[in-house]
Amino acid sequence: MQKMHARVLVVLAMRNLRRHLRRTVLTASAMIVGGALLVFTFAIGDGGHEQWIDSGVRLGNGHVTVERPEYRVSRRIDDRLAADVRRAAEQALAAPEVAPHVVATSAKLSINGLASSSAGARPAQIVAVDPVAETGFGMVDDQIVEGRYLEPDDRLAAYVGAELVDSLELRLGSRFVVQAQDTEREIAGQLLRVVGIFRSGVPAVDQMTIHIPLTTAGDWLGSQNDVTNVGVVLDGSAATALVRGHLERALADPVTRGDARVMGWREADPALAAAIAIDDFGAYLTNGFLFVIIGFGIVNTVLMSVMHRRREFGVLQALGLTPGQTGAIVLVEGLTLSAASGLLGVALGLAGTWYFFGAGLDMSAVMEDIGDMTFSGAVIDPVIVPLFATRRLLQIVTFILCIGAVASIYPALRAARVDVTEAMKFDR
Amino acid sequence: MANDSTAAVRTAGVWKIFRQEAEEVQAVRGVDLTVARGEFTALAGPSGSGKTTLLNLIGGLTRPTRGQVWVAGRDVSGMTSQELARLRLAQVGFVFQAYNLLPVLTALENAEFPMLLQGVDAAERHARVRELFARTGMDGLEDRRPGKLSGGQQQRVAVVRAVASRPALVLADEPTANLDSAASEALLDVMAELNRDLGVTFVFATHDGRVMERARRLVRMVDGAIDSDERRA
Ligand SMILES: Nc1ncnc2c1ncn2[C@@H]1O[C@H](COP(=O)(O)OP(=O)(O)OP(=O)(O)O)[C@@H](O)[C@H]1O
Ligand SMILES: [Mg+2]
Repeated sequence: MQKMHARVLVVLAMRNLRRHLRRTVLTASAMIVGGALLVFTFAIGDGGHEQWIDSGVRLGNGHVTVERPEYRVSRRIDDRLAADVRRAAEQALAAPEVAPHVVATSAKLSINGLASSSAGARPAQIVAVDPVAETGFGMVDDQIVEGRYLEPDDRLAAYVGAELVDSLELRLGSRFVVQAQDTEREIAGQLLRVVGIFRSGVPAVDQMTIHIPLTTAGDWLGSQNDVTNVGVVLDGSAATALVRGHLERALADPVTRGDARVMGWREADPALAAAIAIDDFGAYLTNGFLFVIIGFGIVNTVLMSVMHRRREFGVLQALGLTPGQTGAIVLVEGLTLSAASGLLGVALGLAGTWYFFGAGLDMSAVMEDIGDMTFSGAVIDPVIVPLFATRRLLQIVTFILCIGAVASIYPALRAARVDVTEAMKFDR
Repeated sequence: MANDSTAAVRTAGVWKIFRQEAEEVQAVRGVDLTVARGEFTALAGPSGSGKTTLLNLIGGLTRPTRGQVWVAGRDVSGMTSQELARLRLAQVGFVFQAYNLLPVLTALENAEFPMLLQGVDAAERHARVRELFARTGMDGLEDRRPGKLSGGQQQRVAVVRAVASRPALVLADEPTANLDSAASEALLDVMAELNRDLGVTFVFATHDGRVMERARRLVRMVDGAIDSDERRA
């Protein structure tokens, strides 16, 4: 048989949908609302996650970090990056393919040590930084409680987490001592003065972290300008794979030698990655459930129309349509209905989310109930800026089309199985 | 017996048995029937005598339980449902008692639908439909939807649709059953004229005395078998 013209199929589908306008509009509105809701929830969800990631990576080592493979576990000064590796990494980040995504770069020497005052001694995480680079990297301005951040001329200055300040009974201007293993494997001490006190909101950070100038650390520990990490904050987590891949290629030699490792934020912060995955899973579950209901609505509408039109399908088959082609008419009808309304919903969801919440959706009212503003190493900002990712949109559109197809298959099969001789029987 | 290639349809010892649970219904029992091209044949008989079942068999809508059916010389007994559909599209036109038309298509679109499936080009389709609409007194009604046509007009569109695709035969199951006598006569006039002028082969199943009178061959069925077969001049 000649191929049935797709145009005829579509014309039949459109006219049948228009003929039963009320039924069509009802189903379409469910799909429109569902599509819009889907876009909204994921734009807000992804926007929120992007904030978790951003604050997480700024407190840590960036979206992508380069360090020695052993460093992650040991956190010892022995596992410093070789100077040429650091240079190669910094050069690679300046390459035109990746540079536009780079918001801030910071090379740090980050090791474990001990901080002591007359009040006692506490374990400390000593982070030696270039003050200027770190200012852009860590968003330190938002976290200062008292004093200031490190400045380029500082020598003995320390910027200390608020809870560590409390437990050592320090104040702005107080002196205290830090001790750590130096490059000669001797325990070395260094006198510091508190110039700034900060609170990130993450207890583990506020209880342990001390920022000092990299030059001070170099003199104290004999490590000169060496660092343990080169971290980079990107313009969005979506650029992670690109930048990571680029760095891996640029550092192929040291990576194969075992002198360097390039990590994305997911590996560097598995807890954060897991928290996002769990949150996404929740969204998939609720939306999946919503769309199962919408799907049943479509099945119901299309099936009802099939049942009312058994004679019509009988006639079509008598005219020479194969059962498959008869089913195709119904499939096109269901697909047209769900695709058109679903895409309209997506478009409305995009426009609405952007128009009403483009500047950010303030969730502080909801979050007050949650109380704890930190989550898995990330600080939650109550104002969520929606994120519209192309990949997510494609995912949503594909999902809607699949729901439409799945919901149309059963009615289509029923139409294909219409028996002409039964359908065309008349009672007399 | 007529040659297969000239016969529009031929059956040889064809049976159709329906099984329902333990019961079996022998709807058609060993029918031998040949309809030559150009015939104008009525199948008559009491209700339940197997007229519809026989029409369905010779139109390739169902497969025989036993025996053989040739439509335009081709044996339909072993055909798949795809092959049957192809055969119907090329060789068989159907006119049912009612609800023949697709409600969302206009009269013209309904009439040209099989030709669209056959791949006949638009100019040819429209020419054939307009010619047949003129013959059947339907001109001017091309753009009406079935809901806006009388029962008689709808049946005429169905006849035009069945004829326009140039099948080997047109099968009509009680085409006048839902029409009043004037509309029935008008429809019969149309079909008789198409038969006479264009040589279209018609086979009707009918209870309608008017249809039987107009038929040039009358086949009577009783209990699934042919009881009598008379030809008139
Ligand atoms: N699908 C079916 N299943 C079971 N029995 C059937 C089926 N179709 C028809 N029959 C039976 O086959 C016999 C012949 O039916 P058929 O419809 O061919 O008769 P008919 O001559 O067309 O009758 P009518 O004049 O009432 O239309 C009847 O006894 C009918 O009940
Ligand atoms: Mg019948």
